[in-house]
Amino acid sequence: MSDRDAYIALISSLPGSERLFIAKQPPLSRLRLERRLTALTPEDARVLKVLEHALNWSDYDMDVTDSQAIQRCKDALRDIPQPTLREVFTERMDLRTAVAALRLRHQGGSPPSGSFGLGRWSRHITANWSDPTFKLDGPMPWMKEARQLLDAKDPLGLERLLLSVSHKQLKRHAARHYFDFEAVAIYVLIWNIFDRWAQSNAQDAAKRFEHLAQQAMAGAAEIDFDGATA
Amino acid sequence: MNELVLTLGWLGIYAPMALGAAASAVGCAIAGQASIGAMTETEGGYGRFVGVSAFPSTMVIYGIVIMFTLNRDVTPENAGGLFGIGILSGIALMYCGIWQGRACAAAINATKEKPEIFGLSLAPAAIIEGFGVFAFVFALVISAGIS
Repeated sequence: MSDRDAYIALISSLPGSERLFIAKQPPLSRLRLERRLTALTPEDARVLKVLEHALNWSDYDMDVTDSQAIQRCKDALRDIPQPTLREVFTERMDLRTAVAALRLRHQGGSPPSGSFGLGRWSRHITANWSDPTFKLDGPMPWMKEARQLLDAKDPLGLERLLLSVSHKQLKRHAARHYFDFEAVAIYVLIWNIFDRWAQSNAQDAAKRFEHLAQQAMAGAAEIDFDGATA
Repeated sequence: MNELVLTLGWLGIYAPMALGAAASAVGCAIAGQASIGAMTETEGGYGRFVGVSAFPSTMVIYGIVIMFTLNRDVTPENAGGLFGIGILSGIALMYCGIWQGRACAAAINATKEKPEIFGLSLAPAAIIEGFGVFAFVFALVISAGIS
């Protein structure tokens, strides 16, 4: 349990996490967030780094194996002393394990022996491999929709569903923490979701693609197809 | 034995003042940190934040008044009464001040996002103030019965 008043000024200096998703312009850049996070104690900064490092896909190599990823998560869990953050981490691992199992089965993969992935449901999933949602409808009511999106070959829709589920989980934990380190860590994780969400915004992506295409076309007009530029 | 009883009496006289001062210091520090943080994120309304962060300072005032009301010659007969009223009113003021600071910090944090809820967001802090006033008033009423 962290000091409940440890980061009052830091939390108050951050825009509300709800505003991240409704503002037209991002209210807080990563650079500004990092500057605010310099108020963390070295120990808290270390724990936050461990948490982010284990949860961010961009921190994993493309050729990382399942066992390496699982080991990294187990190591991270050992380094996180706060019960709430451990719970947040475990919930995210449960989600990823369930989605990875859905994807594996969708690709025609055979049921793994023993346990699969990491978390509370790793053995339950292999034991219920033939069930459409691995009999996880109760603890994970979004599984049915995730399976439908996967079957419909809608990866963007699935990505948004998973971000939405992760966001709800974090908001539930955030309701019990106001000005402590857990509140700061949860805020940063929500910011990461916002960042991923913004990157997966189809409209913005289309606009950006159009802009890049126009730039490329403008450059193409200046090309002399005999080999020299104008 | 008498010395110990007299010491407790003096402790009771000064406790509301000391604990009230501690309450105001901690409460104002908590709310003050929130107002400083909010100032870095907002473009205006700084005065309101500073004003709200000073709310818990009333606890030390209540403590001073209780201290003066209890202040009298300490005797073995009245020392127990002075100790009981002083310590318990001081503890009540201390809790009120610290938690009022937290309520003010939450109000400042919320007002930063939605300035229109400024008044309503202060309701918890005002209610806690009411509990502090209860502890203050009834300490004065009860102290009238001490010789």
